[in-house]
Amino acid sequence: MGWAIRHRGPDGFGYVITPWLAAIHVRLSIIGVESGAQPLGSEDGRILVIFNGEIYNFIELRDELEGKGHVFRTRTDTEVLVHGWEEWGEGMLERLNGEFAFAVHDRRDHSLFLARDRFGIRPLFHALHGGDLHFASEVKAFAASGLVPMRPSPRGLDQVFTFWGARPPQTPFQDIFALEPGACATWRNGRLRTRKYYHLRFDENPGPEPSDAIERLGELMNDAVRLRMRSDVPVGGYLSGGLDSSITCALATRFSERPLETFSIGFEEPEFDESYFQGLVAEQVGSIQHDRVISGPEIARVFPEVIRHAETPVVRTAAAPLFLLSRFTQESGIKVVLTGEGADEVFLGYDLFKETRLRRFCLRQPSSVNRPRLFSRLYPYLPEQGRKGEFWQRYFLTASEPEDPLFSHMPRFVMSSWITEFYSAEQRDALGGWDARTALRDDLPDGFQRWSALNKAAWLEFETLLSGYLLSSQGDRMGMAHGVEGRVPFLDHRLFEFAAGLGASSKLRVLREKDILRRWARSVVPAPVEARAKQPYRAPDAEAFIGDGASIEYVADSLSPEALKGTGYFDPRAVDGLLRRVRSGRASGFRENQAFVAILFTQLWHDHFLAPQREQDELVLARADVAMDHQAMAIN
Amino acid sequence: MSLTTPSEPRVREFIQSTFLYARPDLHLEIEDDLLGQGIIDSMGVMELIEFLQNEFSVTVPDQDLTEQNLGTIGAITRYITERAMAMGPGSASAARP
Repeated sequence: MGWAIRHRGPDGFGYVITPWLAAIHVRLSIIGVESGAQPLGSEDGRILVIFNGEIYNFIELRDELEGKGHVFRTRTDTEVLVHGWEEWGEGMLERLNGEFAFAVHDRRDHSLFLARDRFGIRPLFHALHGGDLHFASEVKAFAASGLVPMRPSPRGLDQVFTFWGARPPQTPFQDIFALEPGACATWRNGRLRTRKYYHLRFDENPGPEPSDAIERLGELMNDAVRLRMRSDVPVGGYLSGGLDSSITCALATRFSERPLETFSIGFEEPEFDESYFQGLVAEQVGSIQHDRVISGPEIARVFPEVIRHAETPVVRTAAAPLFLLSRFTQESGIKVVLTGEGADEVFLGYDLFKETRLRRFCLRQPSSVNRPRLFSRLYPYLPEQGRKGEFWQRYFLTASEPEDPLFSHMPRFVMSSWITEFYSAEQRDALGGWDARTALRDDLPDGFQRWSALNKAAWLEFETLLSGYLLSSQGDRMGMAHGVEGRVPFLDHRLFEFAAGLGASSKLRVLREKDILRRWARSVVPAPVEARAKQPYRAPDAEAFIGDGASIEYVADSLSPEALKGTGYFDPRAVDGLLRRVRSGRASGFRENQAFVAILFTQLWHDHFLAPQREQDELVLARADVAMDHQAMAIN
Repeated sequence: MSLTTPSEPRVREFIQSTFLYARPDLHLEIEDDLLGQGIIDSMGVMELIEFLQNEFSVTVPDQDLTEQNLGTIGAITRYITERAMAMGPGSASAARP
């Protein structure tokens, strides 16, 4: 099992076996390099902690706990969890500033407590089987154990094909669950009780922007980055060339004792490439810039590995460049980086928020012919021929009624769920009429319909995309594939709470996204970067797999009628039609590209995790792991 | 060169093979809403226009990209007929064999 997730912690491992708990920990040494072995117990042996992630305010918490008489044996943040649990129990969670997933085993009552950070940056999966609770950072540990059946979840897959990722606690695997962001769970007497300890709350009556808002934002941004520079190994930065990562890298240089090392991916395809802006920022902040240019075929070649790490089908190829970026970063000797994730959620950066405002503006006066023309200002990076005329406008205006609680996201959900048109009859039967959108409508917070349109949109964005897709398939899983830890200053909960207390116009001023962040950032990042419109992170898609020069053997194998019949998710006749379109170069639209990517990657995902032979291979590997682990322990 | 009326079956065949290959069993009525049913998106409209131009030698100006002109199979065939007539026999050609 440990071997199956060794990429997450190549620096060491430890394990514990008691009559009540068997656990393996693999370690990426970042804080307390020499003294941070886990699992870590309390002095009296009563509790045992197993921890993945970082507690950034561990120094302050340690001081507080020492003031209360706790004696520390190490200088690690792990030990803060041990003494924090002794002192505050579950109440400790509210005091933690970090990105974490951890387990606390209490030997007195044989209970186990699991917790995950507020936004779901670090992963934590669990499954109940055979009367036992199984938990792991990655699902592949379950597969390797042979103790948890690996089966597909039609509902989890339907969420992937609608929201881009399964919505926690759902996963694409049947009866394997992700602990929700901001949730904790207690396992006691054979029962698992889960509760949310953190809720996303937005101020519905924020009033005018406070006169010191910019100053306060600056303090919070600086402190969020300062805390995330705490490390006993060098911290670098991912630099995309956009506003958010430019801010984190610029601030990081203030708190770095050595020149900051920054890492960027460029694309051979100019429509995706941001090298110019990456170089501009690196020059201004004085970082040691490392960049690498990749191509569509390179993305296609690594995708089976990407899927193995993502552990879910994906509907975009954007994970692959991040997989290559972390490999490149790790090869350069850096294993901790700051990233710009979270800013678009916290400060309303995505085009979807503008789109929501525009759609409502148009629907308030449906007879206007001028208002819908504003839609041509959306998505300037898409081909111009697709952004013309009544069809483009009507697409936004007919996606849903303003009364629909999912109003903001319906254009995206409708577009994505076109993938489900390719479902086989068996897959439709397995769903039995269930669909991801209806289930989401039935699971909204109390009073949701009374929230403002943009607060609803922000909540849905956090809830459906951030943890289940961005922070995992494009975040933790791609970084940890090569033992690179991403740190996310914009998801410091104090920063989120500050932004959630502002009025929408502070964040989205008419159609200018992240307005307050831009106003503050003028003194931090180069002017062209501050003034730059939001550039979505994209990567080459179907063409990379079936295009001129692309010769990817697994594509034909995975999408053959026999393979499709074997997995059973999609109708081979329908997929054949799509393949013909892609091969002829006619599949130029977003939805066909997305469907192609989703179907191909679902096949790869199934082959890796669910094909019977593969399962056997995993079991053999797992047995070998146990032998190797014991051998390693004997040597040490 | 003679002016002909565009063939509804050819438009239907194009719609079926281009946009409905994932739903081969769906029968499309002549006035079924192509946008409302999610059959054609805005990129699809561009492909439709290219088809009309290649197949019937009819150019479609941006201001004509409306549901009234292109929203159903019936609307498309009517629009092509009207457009070809407006362009005159010297501008519009017969459908290709």
